[in-house]
Order: sequence, then C-alpha cells, then structure tokens
Amino acid sequence: MTALVQRLGARAGLHRWRALPVSRRRRILTPVLLGIGLAFPLLSGNSGNVDAAANAFTYVLLALGLNIVVGFAGLLDLGYAAFFAIGAYGYGIAASGQLRPEWSSAWLPLAWLGQVSRLAVPGGPETVQFHFSFWPMLAVSAIICAIFGMLFGAPTLRLRGDYLAIVTLGFGEIVPVVARNWEGLTNGAQGLGGIHTPRLLGFDFGFSPYPYYFLGLGLVALAVVVSIRLQESRVGRAWMAIREDELAAGAMGVNHVHYKLLAFAMGAAVGGLAGTFYVAKLTTATPDMFTFPVSVMVLVMVVLGGVGSIRGVVLAALLIAFLQSVILQDLSEYVHVVGRLVGSDFLQHVELITSLELIFGLILVIMMIFRRQGLWPTARQVSALTRDQQAAAPGRGSAVRLSWARPAPAGAAGALLEIAGLRKSFGGVTAADDIAFTVRTGELVSVIGPNGSGKTTLFNLITGLIRPDAGSIRLEGHEIAGLPSHEIVARGVARTFQNIRLFNNLSVLENLLVGEHTRLEAGVLGAIFRPPRVRAEERRAFEGALEVLEVFGNRLLPRVDHPAYGLSYANRRRTEIARAIMTRPKLLLLDEPAAGMNPAETLELMDLIKALRGLGITVVLIEHKLDVVMDASDRIVVLDHGVKIAEGAPAHVRNDERVIEAYLGRRRRAA
Amino acid sequence: MSTLDVLLQQVVNGLALGMMYALLALGFTMVYGIIELINFSHFSVFMTGTFVGLGVLNLMGVTAVSKSLTGLALVGTLVALFAATMAATGLLGVRIERICLRPLRNVSGTAPMITTIGVAFILINIMLLYWGPQAQRFPQLLPNWRWNVGRAEITFKQVVLFVVGLVLMLALRHLVRSTTLGKAMRATAQDPDAARMMGIDVDRVVVLTFFLGSALAGAGSLFFGLYYGFTGYYIGYTTGLRAFTSAVLGGIGSITGAVLGGLFIGLTQSLGGQLVGVKWTDVIIFSILIIVMVFRPSGLLGSRAPQKA
Amino acid sequence: MNRRTLLAGLALLSTAAILAGLPGGLTAQGKVVKIGLSLPLTGADADGADAILKGAQMAIAEVNAKGGAAGYKLEGVVFDSATPAAGQYDPAQAATNYKKFIADALVVAAVGPNMSGEGKAISPILSEADMATITPSSTNPDITDPKFQSQYRPKGKAVYFRTVTTDAFQGPNMANYLVHVQKIKSVYVLDDGGAFGVGIADSFQKRAGELGVTVLGRDRLDPKEADYKTILTKIKGVNPDALYYGGVMQAAAKLAPQSFEVMPKAIKAGSDGVYDLSWPKQSGNEAVEGWFCSQASPELVTSPKLEAWVTKFRKDMKREPTNYAITSYNAVLVIASAIERTAAAGKPINRSTVRDSIQATKLDSVQGPIAFDANGDILTRTVSIYQWRDGEIKYVAVAPEK
Repeated sequence: MTALVQRLGARAGLHRWRALPVSRRRRILTPVLLGIGLAFPLLSGNSGNVDAAANAFTYVLLALGLNIVVGFAGLLDLGYAAFFAIGAYGYGIAASGQLRPEWSSAWLPLAWLGQVSRLAVPGGPETVQFHFSFWPMLAVSAIICAIFGMLFGAPTLRLRGDYLAIVTLGFGEIVPVVARNWEGLTNGAQGLGGIHTPRLLGFDFGFSPYPYYFLGLGLVALAVVVSIRLQESRVGRAWMAIREDELAAGAMGVNHVHYKLLAFAMGAAVGGLAGTFYVAKLTTATPDMFTFPVSVMVLVMVVLGGVGSIRGVVLAALLIAFLQSVILQDLSEYVHVVGRLVGSDFLQHVELITSLELIFGLILVIMMIFRRQGLWPTARQVSALTRDQQAAAPGRGSAVRLSWARPAPAGAAGALLEIAGLRKSFGGVTAADDIAFTVRTGELVSVIGPNGSGKTTLFNLITGLIRPDAGSIRLEGHEIAGLPSHEIVARGVARTFQNIRLFNNLSVLENLLVGEHTRLEAGVLGAIFRPPRVRAEERRAFEGALEVLEVFGNRLLPRVDHPAYGLSYANRRRTEIARAIMTRPKLLLLDEPAAGMNPAETLELMDLIKALRGLGITVVLIEHKLDVVMDASDRIVVLDHGVKIAEGAPAHVRNDERVIEAYLGRRRRAA
Repeated sequence: MSTLDVLLQQVVNGLALGMMYALLALGFTMVYGIIELINFSHFSVFMTGTFVGLGVLNLMGVTAVSKSLTGLALVGTLVALFAATMAATGLLGVRIERICLRPLRNVSGTAPMITTIGVAFILINIMLLYWGPQAQRFPQLLPNWRWNVGRAEITFKQVVLFVVGLVLMLALRHLVRSTTLGKAMRATAQDPDAARMMGIDVDRVVVLTFFLGSALAGAGSLFFGLYYGFTGYYIGYTTGLRAFTSAVLGGIGSITGAVLGGLFIGLTQSLGGQLVGVKWTDVIIFSILIIVMVFRPSGLLGSRAPQKA
Repeated sequence: MNRRTLLAGLALLSTAAILAGLPGGLTAQGKVVKIGLSLPLTGADADGADAILKGAQMAIAEVNAKGGAAGYKLEGVVFDSATPAAGQYDPAQAATNYKKFIADALVVAAVGPNMSGEGKAISPILSEADMATITPSSTNPDITDPKFQSQYRPKGKAVYFRTVTTDAFQGPNMANYLVHVQKIKSVYVLDDGGAFGVGIADSFQKRAGELGVTVLGRDRLDPKEADYKTILTKIKGVNPDALYYGGVMQAAAKLAPQSFEVMPKAIKAGSDGVYDLSWPKQSGNEAVEGWFCSQASPELVTSPKLEAWVTKFRKDMKREPTNYAITSYNAVLVIASAIERTAAAGKPINRSTVRDSIQATKLDSVQGPIAFDANGDILTRTVSIYQWRDGEIKYVAVAPEK
C-alpha cells in the first residue's frame, strides 16, 4: 500500500514540489487554499456543515494560539481555556444586558459613539445598556487577554517545564470557578444570554452561519499570517532558542523573561480572539464551556499536528473539530447499520462520540512515543551535499575576515576584564576561592587546571549564569558581577559551552542568527508588519552570518540549512563558536573548544582562534590540550580546587612546581 | 453545636481528609523522586484501583447490599481485597512505565508528562465506558463505630485511615533510608548514570518504585471506597490535584512532606470551607499551589527545587 | 505511520464526511414532515434524555400507525447535543443541531431541548427562523420570561413551548409544601453549580424567605468532589430544620449518604434533579430514605389513567418511563395536532404555520389539558411532590401553589 502511494506520489511530481523553495510553495498554495476556503460554503449545499465549519475555525484559532506558547516558545500551557474564557466573557459582558449600572452623564461619550444606550426602567432609575460593537471588542479582548497572559505567565518564569504546566493548569481551573461564583459579573452558572451578534455596515450577522464562516476564515488567515511572520523573525528565533535551550539562549543575549511573557501574551491574545468570535456566534456563554477538557482538546490538536508546525496544527484542529461534530456521529450511524445487518446489539447501540476523549488520550500517548514531531511538522528544506563537500578534509590557514572586527591599536592594550576577590561555594564545596586576575585587550589567555578545579564555574560567573558570593568582575571598568546573562552578552562577552549547547532543532543558520539577537531590534510589531527597516536588518543579519560561516571555509556553508542535531561533532563545535562570534564580542570565552577533535582539526581550530585574536577579539580559553595551550597563549592562569595557583607566560607556568604537582601529583623522591 | 465544637469537628474532618490526600501523595512523590516526572496517570491509577476493588469484591460475592461481614470473614475479605487490588494497580503502574515512559526516559522537555496526561485520559474513559457515568456504590466493609471527643465525633473509619497513613509513612521512610533498595532508589534519584556505573540496575529500581507507588495508590483507592462508600470515573481528577498540591507543598520527593502537606491541605479544605464557604475551596487550594511554586518551589521539607536543570 | 498513507486516508475520510453531510442522504419518499430531536444522549444526562427520546419515538410511531398527521408521515431527526469536552449537554452543539434542523426544509418543529442551558442558546435561533420547539423538561423560567424577550425571542413570537411548568413554580411550590405541610422554620440551601441547580435553588430560597423561613446559609457542592463532610458539618453546626438541594444527580449521589451520616434527622428536599430512578442504586436505599423531590408536571407515571400507557412504554421501549417521557410523548402529539389543524384551515404546512397552530393548542392528553400562554409556557402550573421510601419514589401530593 505504501509503495503504491509512493509511486503515485512520484507520478504526481511530489519530488518536484519538494524541490521548490518554501516561498514559492507558499505563493502557489495560498491562493489555492484561500480559494477552497472561500468556495466551500457554496460547494456544500448544507448550511449545517457551514455552521460546523465556522465552529471549527474557533478551534483552529485556539490551536494556533496555543502553538505560539507551546510550539514556538516551548511553554506547556495546560490551562489555555482560561484565555478562551476571558475573551468570551469579556465580549459577552460588554455586549449583553448583564451589567446595568445606573445612568450618569459619564456615559454620554460612549452613548454618543453608539456603544451604550440609556434604558428606562419602570419603577427605578435609568440604567446603562451595554452593546459594545464587536469589531473594536475583538481588539480589546485580545489586549485584555494579553495582559492576563502575562499575569498568569509571570509566576512560571523560573519554573521547569512540568511545573510550569501545573501552574498554568491551576489558573485554568481558577478562571471557570471565578466565572461560576462571581455572579454579579458573569451571571454565574446560568451564564450570559442574549449576547449581541456582530453588525457590519448596518448588516446584522444574526444566526446565519455564512457571515461567521467568512469572519472565521478571515481570523484564521490573520492568525496564520501572524504566526508565520513571528516564526521567521527575530522574535520567533528568540522563542525557539528558549525552547531548545534556555541557558544557551541567555548566553546568546535572549532575555528569557521578556520573551516568555511575550509568548504568553501573544498566545493569550489569539485565545481571546477565539473566545470573542465563538461567543458572538453562540450568543451565550457559560462556565462549563471553558473547563480542563477543552484545554486538553486544544493540546491534543497541537500535539497531533506537530508542535510548532503551523500547517500541522491547522490541519489537526480541523480534523478533530470535524471528527467531533460530523465524522464520529456519521460513523456511528454507519456502525449502527452494520450492527443491524450482522445483528450485533453492541454495534447497534455504540456511540462513537463517547469515545472521543479516549481517542484524545490515545493520540497523546501514541504521538509522544512514536511521532513526537507530529503528523505534519514544519517543512524543512535541507540542501543535499556534493561528494566533495562531504569529504572535505581539514585545512589550515584559511583567511579570517570579519568586517566589524577592529584590531587593537598596538601598545594601547588596557585591561578588558578585571576579576578580584571572586568567591563562590556550592554547599560545602568551594568552587572559586578568592580568584583574581586581569585580561588585557587583545590577549589570548588560557585557564588550565585539573578536572574540578573550577574553570567552568569561573566562566559561569563571568557570563552571569551564576552569581558570585563575593568579589567583583569588571568589564572595561564596569561591574558586571550579578547581572543577568543576556545583559552581559549585550556588553560584549560571548561564550561556548563545555558540552556544546546548540539549538538542536534549528538549522545552522538559525543558530547563528540567534547570536545576532542583541544586535537586532525588531519586536513583535516589526516581525508582523516587516517594514523596510526590519527587512534591511534581517538582510544584514543574514549577510553577517554568511560572513562568519565563511571563516570556517567549506565546513558549515554547505550545511547552512541543516538542523544542528544532524551535524558531526566537530561541526557542532564550529557552529557553536560561529554563533558566539555572531554576537560581535569583545571578549570570547571558549570552554574546551578542542575537546574531541583530532590533531588536524585541533590545529585548524587554534589557527582560527589566533586569527580571531589578531582581529581584535580578546580570547579566554579553557583547554586540556596543554601543547596547544602553551603554543598559542600569551598568558596562562592555573586553577586548582578553586584557587589560582599560578599565572604567567607559558614557559614560566610550565615549570612551576605547584602546577606540576597539581597535574601529576607530588614527585616521588628517589629512594 | 457551639462554634468551638464545629471547628473541632472540622479539624477532625480535615485531618481524615488530609490523610486521604497524603496516601495518594505518597505514591506520587516516590515516583517523582526517582524519575523527576509529574505522573498525571498516578491519579487515574488510583481511580482505577477503586473499580478493581469493586470488581474483586463482586467476585467474592460482596456487594453494597449483601450481608455485612464480621470477625474472621471480614479480616479475610479485607486482606484478600487489599492484596489483590494493590497487586493489580502495582502491575498497572509497571505496565504504564514500561510502555509509555521508558521509551521517553531520555527525552527532555514535557513529552513524558504529556504522555501521562494521555494515559490518564485513556484510563478515565475506559472506566467511564465500562461502568457508565453514574456513581457506583462501594461496600461498606468497615464497621460504623463512632466515638465522641467533646461534642465532635470521630468514626472508626477515620481512625483507621489515619493510623494506616502514619504506618505507611513510617514504613516507607524506613524503606528509603535504611534498606538497600532504598539506597538504590536514592542513588538513582540523584544520578542515574552514576548509579548504573555502581552496578545498580536502574531499570529494575524504576520498575520497583513504580510498583510500590502504584500499589500505594491502590491502597489509597480502597480506603477511598471504604471511607466514602462510592466511586466514580472522575474521582481521580479533583482528589488527584489536591494530592498533587499536598506533595508539592510538603516538598516533592519527601515522604514526610507528602503526609504533612496532605494534612495541611485537608485542614485548609475543611476550615476554609467552614469559614469562607466550600465554593471557594478550589480557588484557595490552587492559589496555595501557585504561591508555593513561585516562592518556595522546594516546598516545606523538600531539598530539590523544581527549577531549571 | 507513513505520512502519505495518512494523507490518503484523511482525504478519504473527509470525502466520506462531506458526502454524509449532504442533504437528502437517507430520507424516505412520500409526504413526510420531520420533527427535530436534539437531546444530550451521551454523557451525564444520558439516561433522562434517553427516556425523553423514547417517549417521543413512541408518539411518532403511534401517529404514523394511524396514517400520520393530516396524511403526512412523521419522521424524527435525532442529534446528540452532548459533547465529550463538556461531558454533558453542550449549548454550542445544541445550537449547531438546531441550525441543521432549520437548514432542513422538511423539519417543521422540534421536541427538546432537555436542559435549559441548551435552551438559552437555541431560543434566539428559533425566533429568527420562526420555528417552534416544545421542551418536555427544560424548566428555567428566564427563557420564556417576557422580561428577557429581547434576548431569547427577539422577533417577539413565542417559539419555546413547554409541556412542563417552570422553576418559577417548581422551586417555590416545594417551599410552600415544606412550610405549610412539613412546618419547617429554617433551611440551608445548596446548589451544584450548574445552570439548572443554581436557578431552582435561587427560586426556592426566595420563596422560603417570603414565607418567613430563616435561610441559614447558601453554598455550592462541587459535583466532582468526593467529600461533602465540610459543608455538612458546617450545616449541622447551625442546625436547620431542612436542607434543600438544587441540582442533579452527580452531586446528589454523594450528598445523600454523607448527609445521612452527618444529619440523619433533618428534612431533606430536592427538585426534579433528584427524581432519578437510579438514585437508590447510586447511594443506597437507606441514604435516600425520606428525601422529598418534585416534578414540574402532574403525577403521571403511577396515575391509573396512564397504566395502559406505562405498560405499553415498558413493552415497546424496554425501559422504565419517567414523567418527562410522558411530557415528551405529549409534545409530539401537540405537534401532530397542530399539523392537522393547519391542514384543516387550508394553510400550507411549514414551520411558521405550525408554530401558530401550536400556539393555539387546546389538547386533552394523558397529562391533562394542554394549552400555552402567550410566552409558550403551559397553562397548568402543577408541581407534584414525591418522597423516596424504601428505595422507591412515592407520590405525595400536588404542591400548594401559595
């Protein structure tokens, strides 16, 4: 069967489709999909189906919104229905007779704008009748939900994945309970009724499904475009970096607090749009419509389609919506007929719709175990390599040119990094004990020492991953100890990690572009609207990335769109260094960059590092390969058990008694 | 009844309720301690246990309306019930680990937790489809003795619940602190790779922990049925979330913490309900959960903070 | 799973779905009118909805056996209004179902909905389409209340008819009974947080206050919660004469045994939400003993007039009837009578004319005379009181109207 479908696919030219660049594919698909979407109501003679489709669009919106939070930023939100509820009740309260404050002249401006009216009440004071217009309320709902998104997201910022999920679950439970109990605001369990339907230029949407269908289609299209734009922007890259490796993202300058809150806000805003749309169509809202199973259903849609994949979640949402409202009911009828034919009592009475939640559970389990990337993951084009490119051997002496690098003027080398009295303990273990040394601009300093001597801890302290207990770290005279890592990056310090922390599911290019994060400015609006300034900025970033990639010759350039997890070890190392260089650091900290490299690769790497130093980047290196260290370094600092035991020129350190003792143990005296 | 009497009764209610949460939290926290996974399905295993117990009792001919048992027959029935149900839930937990969690052992992120949500849904819906949405009566095996403490009333069932909970807590603490298995569990919890290199069969330790934790859930489920006299497909959810809050409050991974946390939540529920009104219980308890998570993620007694690795 | 296989399967499935959704699928030929039946056939309320469905189906079969209504064969179009996400009735699904009815030109009226939560969503839709529905069991008074006319029937004409009376009477009349007959002086009121429960508890509480009863408190039971000891202890602490529960079975199943344990001597009463034949099975005879409950209709099932009906129902539908099965049966008969009267007046059979005829109904039925007021409510406002004894529901009396 599979082979047959494959042959059919080949005949249909699927490989030719795959060969097209994504932008071309989009230009072809967009009008086709829009055409189907617009024509569907006419093709389907049944307005009941159009109504079901309009309801399905609500689910698609919810799935797209959750996709931003879970898919792009990697934050598992189990209480997403809360935003659905807030959007729904927000519009519902503003567009129904629920609130009837006493009339006063303060309401005149709104009455003038047609948003409220003055209602005479027999036997009482006049009251205000709310009927805020749907269209501005869409925007207002989105904004209110964005605020709640940030409110609910704020407590989770320092929490790990599953704990974050539980806190969001908590909020997801609290919102319907509040809706149920705060009767004055929401009419409690009875729910809101008589919510006004939208009016456009005098035409009232009423109860016909067709205007809602097109409105829903429009909202979905908007959400898809916004999602795509965000995904392919600086904001999207920041989110994906956080998703892949929050620590490394911070080390590349991504402010995780800012971007996590942003993800929650954007996701919540889309949820609010869905809520407003849904309730305007249904004209009622009850707390039962926003409970945990709804949150789970949206999660199932995202998991089924592919976490992070826009096309995936849209298709999965449509599939599940139709499964629920049409397919399972119709399938049940067929099964009943079959049951009557074969005389099976069970088959005649089984209602497949009751097993929908069972199906949800199965989807979650099966997808997570067998196909975590979902049914329709984001299309990724990976260019094939030529044979030569695959077999490229390490070379030496490749030119290193970086347009922005300024070699230090000779003799004017001042202190770039000054460390004094640095102390850090973890429980009973002192990892850094009163460390002090200075690194001058343009130097290549190596930090060596046996395992466990505190070298990586030193790097972590300098780059802000941990706070020192005492002491000072000054960069160009400014104190940086205790600053968050993304701020330190902005000041010009970059690093690589001992165990390589790349953004595994991002391509080489995308990894590098994250490095560019602090140098770019585009925010959410820039990402969505792509004004010329942003486009120029992205182009410059792209060119900057290519420039850095060229430094590595034929290694990374052919693999520019390969996902990082597929690279060889050496290439991963190179990518990480390239990414760090992208931040245009004044100070580059490399943590065992030559680990796992063979001698030829090591020499190539050291050439590169020396060349970088020549371009004006100050380098501090942790390494175990002492021959390399001795050869390349200007100065060496030796640590042992958190204490600096030696410092100086390589020749001097090589013969230092304490250093030898630290590495080799006390020399045995001849008997 | 005077206000003091009512409050005293609510304290009694709250402690019994809290012990119920503690029983659930114990098994949950044990599993978390080993594999650092929020196992959503634990509470559905608990719910399944009540139905297994119901089935076992039906097999033995004991139903809600059959003659009540005494003496040796009662003891025998209880022993058989507990043994069978705990074995069944223990095995269920082991199967869940084997099929759904072991393949994901090295996957970081939230995939394992999502899988446990899926398993929870599957279990809930299987029970729903098989037994129907209505509540099922659970035979009241324990005698209905009650005593007065002042003007408050304590029932035999509450005493049994409390005593069993304490005994289990002490037994588990002994297991974890003093036995070889306990040491192996603690080693695996701290660093599975190092434990493996020390010759500990990590897989086996995980399986045993799941068995133990799920069997505990099974015991808890029987207490639920015996105490409340009913069960339903949905009980895992509310009770589960309260038990989860108890575990987090007490310090996830800490056995004593689970019990203390449970008692605290139980008292919050009963005293909160008395003083504020039961319709706000959910909001109060979830707020406690959120506050603990934000300000003291390691809980009252825990040592491992659920923050970034 | 190969992606292409999956896509092919998906395409096939969607095609099938679309084809299945197209109209004119499986209908019969000849003069036919359809009656829409949207009920929560799955989920928490399935049993009650099933009884209602069977009542309607029995009526349809009887009418057809006599040659139909004015020569038209009746056909029921059945849709489920429950969804798994809700676990019970879902107003959005009900709305979709009713829109499907409206899209089908052969549907002239509907029987349903079961729950008032659904009613609020569909009433405006019916008003727009000028089609009537007759509900056998939805008792929330707001939907037909002229105060809320702009919300629920913007076009003005009544479209939401009932063969039951509303909670505007069910709750208060129980209060009347408890005060005048059981002589209670104080009460504690509970609801289950659902739309129906809150509404009827509110109406009970208001009337009790008017009668001079001390309402010692009002709180909410969480149907998903297992332990009600907290609230029951609190209630015991204030020692009311009676406890009133507005709500349905999910909470009642636990309330009964636990309130029996904590306060066995108090008078306990509920609404038609606890008129559920499965209650003793869920809670035990002992726990249920003595509870009062009500029905928003005259006593029907044990009435000797209906013995033949009940026997026939048991035989044909293979289940026990409920009062609402009978009101549902009558709802169909009202529609059939409306069709006949419309034809006799020489008017075409469409939903507008049928609605008008329904409005003018004066039918003698097994539940007594059926006629509707201008809002769609049934004129006879009988509320019946029952009591659970020995695991069975026993009719007590008609509830006092004042």
